[in-house]
Amino acid sequence: MGRFVSVKAFLDHQQQLSATLDPNAKIITICGGTGCTAFGSPNVRKAFETELEKRGVATDVSVKVTGCHGFCEKGPVVVILPSKVFYPNVQVEDVPRIVEKTVINNEVIDELLYVDPATKQKIAYDHEVPFYAKQTRLVFRLNGLLDPIDLDDYIAHDGYLAAVKALSEMTPDQVIDEVRDAGLRGRGGAGFPAGVKWGFCRKAPGDEKYLVCNADEGDPGAFMDRSVLEGTPHAVIEGMIIAAYAIGASHGIVYVRAEYPLAVCNTRVALEQARDAGLLGKNIVGTGFDFDIEIREGAGAFVCGEETALIASLEGKRGMPRARPPFPANEGYRGKPTNINNVETLANVPLIILKGKEWYQSIGTEGSKGTKIFALAGKVNNTGLVEVPMGTTLREIVFDIGGGIPKNRKFKAAQMGGPSGGCVPAQFLDLAIDYDSVQQIGAIMGSGGLIVMDENTCIVDIARFFIEFVQKESCGKCVPCRVGTRHMLDILTRICDGDGRVGDIEQLEELARMVKSASLCGLGQTAPNPVLSTIRYFRNEYEEHIREKWCRASVCEALVEAPCAHACPAGVNVPQYVGLIAENRLEEAVNVIRRRNPFISVCGRVCDAPCERRCRRADVDEPLAIRALKRYAMDNAADVAGPLVPPASGKKEVAIVGSGPAGLSCAYFLALMGRPSVVFETLSIPGGMLSVGIPEYRLPKQSLQADIDYIVSHGVELRTNACVENVAALRKEGYKAVFIGTGAHHGRALRIEGEDLDGVVDSLVFLRSRALGEPLRCGKRVAVIGGGNAAVDTARSALRLGAESVLILYRRTREEMPAYEEEIEEALREGIELHELVAPKRIIGADGRVTGIEMVRMRLGDADESGRRRPVPIEGSKFVVECDMVVPAIGQRASTEALAGTVKLIPSSGIVVDKATGATSMEGVFAGGDCVSGGETVVAAIGAGQKAAVAIDRMLGGSGMLPADVQISMRRPSEDDLEKILPRVEEPMLAVEQRRGSFAEVLCGLTPGAACAEAGRCLRCDLERLESLAAREKVTENE
Amino acid sequence: MAAASETEFDLSVAEGVLARLGWTDRRDDGRDIAGQLIPLLQQLQDAYGYLPPPVLTWVSRRTGIPTSRMYGVITFYSQFYTEPHGKHTIRCCRGTACHVRGGKKIINAVTSTLGVEDGETTEDMLFSLEMVACLGACALSPVMVVDNTYYGKMTARRAEQVVQQFVQEEA
Repeated sequence: MGRFVSVKAFLDHQQQLSATLDPNAKIITICGGTGCTAFGSPNVRKAFETELEKRGVATDVSVKVTGCHGFCEKGPVVVILPSKVFYPNVQVEDVPRIVEKTVINNEVIDELLYVDPATKQKIAYDHEVPFYAKQTRLVFRLNGLLDPIDLDDYIAHDGYLAAVKALSEMTPDQVIDEVRDAGLRGRGGAGFPAGVKWGFCRKAPGDEKYLVCNADEGDPGAFMDRSVLEGTPHAVIEGMIIAAYAIGASHGIVYVRAEYPLAVCNTRVALEQARDAGLLGKNIVGTGFDFDIEIREGAGAFVCGEETALIASLEGKRGMPRARPPFPANEGYRGKPTNINNVETLANVPLIILKGKEWYQSIGTEGSKGTKIFALAGKVNNTGLVEVPMGTTLREIVFDIGGGIPKNRKFKAAQMGGPSGGCVPAQFLDLAIDYDSVQQIGAIMGSGGLIVMDENTCIVDIARFFIEFVQKESCGKCVPCRVGTRHMLDILTRICDGDGRVGDIEQLEELARMVKSASLCGLGQTAPNPVLSTIRYFRNEYEEHIREKWCRASVCEALVEAPCAHACPAGVNVPQYVGLIAENRLEEAVNVIRRRNPFISVCGRVCDAPCERRCRRADVDEPLAIRALKRYAMDNAADVAGPLVPPASGKKEVAIVGSGPAGLSCAYFLALMGRPSVVFETLSIPGGMLSVGIPEYRLPKQSLQADIDYIVSHGVELRTNACVENVAALRKEGYKAVFIGTGAHHGRALRIEGEDLDGVVDSLVFLRSRALGEPLRCGKRVAVIGGGNAAVDTARSALRLGAESVLILYRRTREEMPAYEEEIEEALREGIELHELVAPKRIIGADGRVTGIEMVRMRLGDADESGRRRPVPIEGSKFVVECDMVVPAIGQRASTEALAGTVKLIPSSGIVVDKATGATSMEGVFAGGDCVSGGETVVAAIGAGQKAAVAIDRMLGGSGMLPADVQISMRRPSEDDLEKILPRVEEPMLAVEQRRGSFAEVLCGLTPGAACAEAGRCLRCDLERLESLAAREKVTENE
Repeated sequence: MAAASETEFDLSVAEGVLARLGWTDRRDDGRDIAGQLIPLLQQLQDAYGYLPPPVLTWVSRRTGIPTSRMYGVITFYSQFYTEPHGKHTIRCCRGTACHVRGGKKIINAVTSTLGVEDGETTEDMLFSLEMVACLGACALSPVMVVDNTYYGKMTARRAEQVVQQFVQEEA
């Protein structure tokens, strides 16, 4: 190929190339992006070449290393053309098989295929992989197809046609009009209309103008510009030629990060090729237009992404921004009119010129046209580059394309726009994303970095991370940015270190406002955004760090000894007792637990185990089965009936109302600190919800009784059938302190017609009557309404009581059900029918008895505040479910009868308390558990009882010291075990056919061998931390 | 450290760099060598492995660019260093994606294995450690780079192994 001296010469060559493109050519494309290269694609390429050679088919099949396919998570990615068979994670040893079967014989190799994590289906072709199928790849259309540094390959795929068209058929003004009308907005961050910007530069007086391509992609978490430059450098060059023609520039510069060696290299080669072909330089393809491009490598400064700083850097100065105006369009590089566009913006330009503005306008939203590339990373299954039309929702990007969050953890927020952007919480999952909508919720589109954060990400730590970043990158020219971000960092650091003060949040907000309004350039003006947006949506997490020294994500090192223990509301030293179990020291293990939690039998069975959700073992394989281990220790320890300390004696100064987990825990911890108490219980049996809410097949009576006996053995006086009429009276009787733990025993009404019919029983009444042995008529066909644990407990109980069929009717889908997943699974196995997306309209009866329930079908609408999708009724979809019993289980209400005129209440939820102490509005009166929260977990109630006990002891003159935790098990897994994938143990279960008609326990407990092996999987994060502390001390000593 | 002198360095290398950038002794040719300061420093660093102060002084005398301006630029950009670097450069990413996926543990593992902090070089001059804002390989997070090889999806233990492997190769 020579130099194109005329438009005709170019077009002839182009036609010739495009005609020789053989759609049936056998090509093995291997991704050569940075990601796949790191995973070994160069070796895979060599293996393919050797294998083809060996089989003598090297002339029929070509191997092509292409630009980034985007699915970096699954690298090295190989696609076999023409069939488009898609193989992820290809290893050298797979190559011979692929050549023999797929390349030569057109067979698909099943076990090498991509498995969709959502459906577990194997997918053979790349266009069927959900990651690709749901994208609209325009800028990226050639990325997986072309050899990045093969000019003819690009030309054959319509490359440079747009540039030649612009230069030969359009005037510069026509080009500007086309791009402006198409609605292309700057992809670098601010979203300024590109055509308008070009217009400014074109109109600026001066005969020497510059065009700069900003590839200084410094935004941590964005890597699309890198990928575009690496994969299709010619597309960027073509965009630059068109832009330069439009504004009248003769000189172009690509300003690219030195940290992107492959992008620098490919761009350099592509420039050389374009120059040799006459597509750059003097008199481009004989049109008389002169334009050439040079590469400048950025020297590593984030601020150089800012236009005026970038120009200073190009001029060989420190990259400091200056005030605007004058704008670069009038006075830029060397004082001449300069236009700066981002890589992605320029890569869009040839498409617009070639396909026209109408086509481009048809993609995207009203105010934002075309597609946007997002760099999807963080806590998401499919990391990589994703190109979608403007207006796509976050849910589609994160869940449909990104495949959701690993380990089924909860989505917390997405950080959009990097350090200049903000976090987008779950409630906006269904927001159509474009420049304007994202701005409205306090983030920015930015360059398109999209970092997904899950429940194990600490929001304060993230804010600190971003401020640390901008503080390091602040150029130092203006005071608000230089000093303001420093102060903000100091405050955030102390909050993360557990030294936060009341008032810190307000001070952060004030500093943020100041830095935003008084900084000189975009860096400072946007630097506080991550802090402001996290405070806006996650203020409670800041408060928890400051007031409770609690990091709910178990991330902040200074606060967290081991993530599991930190996550436990009762503060049980989990790694310690797990270590003891691994050493078969079960009695000691039980005693470690009992320092913080007396309900071992209970929590070993029904705890929601927040510890397991934070377990770091999950990063290796699966979280430890901590709950099962706890039960194992208690069930198998030889002699653990005796009290931990001698029974408390003396005058009983504390009254406790309610004998549920909160009340009994409060009594227990008071006893550990030497204070006896009296526990009043209205019902005939103690235990609260544990005895009248949770059925025995989950929590056998004798297990619960063992825990209660143990608590009582510490000198706790338990009075059943003792209803407290009024809490204030207890104070008058001489009790110096009162703890209220009355629970939430009232169900919420459906508020629909027919609720008073015979056969409608609230689930809490149903479960309580059965537990107390009161007369209860269970229906033959029972419809339970709701999706929580009470609903599932009721349904499974009804089945055991002889119901012929049981249905659970839920208005959302199984995925949104608050009940424990394993309980739902077992309910279904037992034969309970789950009807999703239905809501009750009215209960139908005859002769005063229930005969059915009229339901309406629902669909999932937009996210609510928690990010769960709201159910929306579908018009005209009413239908009737026949049944003779309806059990509403749609929520519970605090039991507060004894509180009239005493403590402050919020009518619909519960008692108002200080979270750290449980203190109510009335002096000497504390509260905790479901009567405060309106319905929470057992272990949360235990924690609340413990906190209140500490506060009561202090109020009465004690130290509030619980028994100290002692470090006794130093057992750690071996280095080799750390690497091995060891699946989590599952507890054996009672066979399904044995469950009907019986309330026998379903979970059967671990065997000694299984328990010991499971405990051995623990990483012992606590010891790791001790070691690093010791190491740090040693360093300090040496210094 | 005793002040090094120009005689320790092969100044013809610097001469070559200046020539490649088109610089001549003639001051009246209109070429703006100061505007090329960053590429000039980049190429000098490539040639010498770092920016030796005596060479900078020599270049300053030769070109008329004040050393104050050179140092202003050198200290501003993270790419430049005026002390010799180790044989291998280990770069740890402190970008957002890496941070969210536990990059701090990787950084801790590498610093404790090498016994140096960000920006330092081991005493045997084998390893220099750098923290980078973002390596742009977020899909591989947490990620580290040794010389030009990327190591993705690191764990603290794997990071330690990678470093140890280089240490052993050098032993």
